[in-house]
Amino acid sequence: MLSVRDLGVAFGAVQPLSGVSFAVGKGETLGIVGESGSGKSLTAMSVMGLLPLSGGRITGGKVEFDGQDLTKLSERAYRKLRGGRIGLITQNPMTSLDPLKKIGPQVDDVAKLHMGLSEQAARARTEEILGTLRIPEPALICERYPHQMSGGMKQRIVIAMALAADPDVLIADEPTTALDVTVQAQIIRLLDDLVKERDLALVLITHDMSVVAQTCDKVVVMYAGRAVEHGPVETIFDRPRHPYTQALIACIPRGLDEATRLTGIEGTVPTVVNYPSGCPFHPRCPRAEAICATDPPGFSVEGDSAAACHFAEVADAQPA
Amino acid sequence: MPNLLEVRDLSKRFTSAGGPFRKARSMHAVNGVSFDLPEGRVIGVVGESGCGKSTLARLILRLIEPSGGAVNFDGDNLLAKSPSQMRKLRARMQMVFQDPYSAIDPRYTLTRAVSEPFEVQNVTPKKPMAEEVADLLEMVGLNPGLAASYPHQISGGQKQRVGIARALALRPSLLVLDEPTASLDVSVQAQIIGLLEDLRTDLGLTYLFISHDLSLVKYFCDEILVMYLGRVVEALPETAAPARHPYTRTLMESTFEPDPKKRRLIAPLEGEVPSPFDLPPGCAFADRCPNASALCRTETPVLSTETGHAVACHHPI
Repeated sequence: MLSVRDLGVAFGAVQPLSGVSFAVGKGETLGIVGESGSGKSLTAMSVMGLLPLSGGRITGGKVEFDGQDLTKLSERAYRKLRGGRIGLITQNPMTSLDPLKKIGPQVDDVAKLHMGLSEQAARARTEEILGTLRIPEPALICERYPHQMSGGMKQRIVIAMALAADPDVLIADEPTTALDVTVQAQIIRLLDDLVKERDLALVLITHDMSVVAQTCDKVVVMYAGRAVEHGPVETIFDRPRHPYTQALIACIPRGLDEATRLTGIEGTVPTVVNYPSGCPFHPRCPRAEAICATDPPGFSVEGDSAAACHFAEVADAQPA
Repeated sequence: MPNLLEVRDLSKRFTSAGGPFRKARSMHAVNGVSFDLPEGRVIGVVGESGCGKSTLARLILRLIEPSGGAVNFDGDNLLAKSPSQMRKLRARMQMVFQDPYSAIDPRYTLTRAVSEPFEVQNVTPKKPMAEEVADLLEMVGLNPGLAASYPHQISGGQKQRVGIARALALRPSLLVLDEPTASLDVSVQAQIIGLLEDLRTDLGLTYLFISHDLSLVKYFCDEILVMYLGRVVEALPETAAPARHPYTRTLMESTFEPDPKKRRLIAPLEGEVPSPFDLPPGCAFADRCPNASALCRTETPVLSTETGHAVACHHPI
């Protein structure tokens, strides 16, 4: 449905994103995971065609949606897609809603704009969608303002807006990060159901490996603006081959398994202006050797997964 | 081990002033919380936003005045102390805050930030101050060469290390950690947790660890208190103890494992968290609870402590 190939993005002279590739099909959930500053949200912005807003531009690669290359699309045509066939859910529901407007009209607008529905038809659709998102008494909710609702309820409204025009692809950028755990679980369950019921392609951007393990079919691990490992979620967790992926998994406390000590990753994520040469992870990598500082590693493919590491071939099965 | 901290029936009621258009309202942010923290142990307080866990932390250090109850620290009844006595005692009980960005004065160098506790408490360190600061920075894994830096020159994880160094400056016996890793990346969180584990062993510290993250609490703590809307609903004597309160069960089922083979079936949860200003009679969790009966909607369950595994529920699992 959506495929990104070798995407590169530049802001002036700095190149925060390069060589990012992934594909997601109908009824499939793809996770993009990494620490803050790894380029996850930038990837989402590029796909949505929102880069010009912040002064960035796509320098290479393709974003293919339903057979057409989005990087060559005019702004006018993009506007039809955005919020129409590609929906976006942002991290902070508090800032995605207009505080001065009632919920009903905010959601109505999407169907009016993208589907050309009348006032009444749009409202009927809004209430139907709120109903499918298990929001009690949709008609009543339509008359409320955002400040009268809890964070979880607001995130459901943002999801309703993303779904209003019946998109094929949904991009969710940290949709549960600002929420409590029980609410997070409910939203994740909701997204899972939507993917199955509507045959949606979902791109889930998160920093949380346990959310990826819970919901995704495939995963792309990003570091310093590059994809460093990708593959089916079972393979990546069973046998992570990139040291960064291994380290990310080892950072997550596991229920009761007290034998494993939590290990952090030494150092910090590099900023755009000082991306390291060679493999971007080499200054923090326990396995780094001389070659890692000079030569950027290519992908070592194994089955349907691949890792960009000089030593991926010799990586031990190390399920942290 | 003797109890370093004893908390009895601690409560805090906040009142919002009324005005021409609204009535005065009040809420119990913390309601009748009791527990013992033996020396050298780590108790975790877990719950979702608004459950009162941060208020509890502040009440214990008397950063907020409790409305009722008692706090005994190493045999001293804190609520009977004068402000100056309290200030002296605080040298032995310190807090690490959630947001390292706002916990350190942006105009202070790290040296000044870390030496401030000595000034406030009017304590002369045993070594020259520069050496003392270097030791403290080293203790939390920071390069002493950073001593002249300002907070904006270091990363979030490094700032939290400064927050910890500052809390340790006067060699306290109790550290209250209020979500010390909530604003950090997972890789940095793991570093900070590792540091706290090492410090605990090396310095014989006792921790009260406040967090919303049950898997982190299970990993890091010896005992767990689960809070919901101001009350402790369950006290797990050890982290492996099975949950008996339906709310704790819900929390556990909402926590994912980093393993696709252990996916959870997420049951839809009915209802919303009630407003703390307008709590329903009976158990506050009743509206969201699958086991709720008529009794739960009329009578508030009390925390029964008979078995050592306390749970406040009419129908425990």
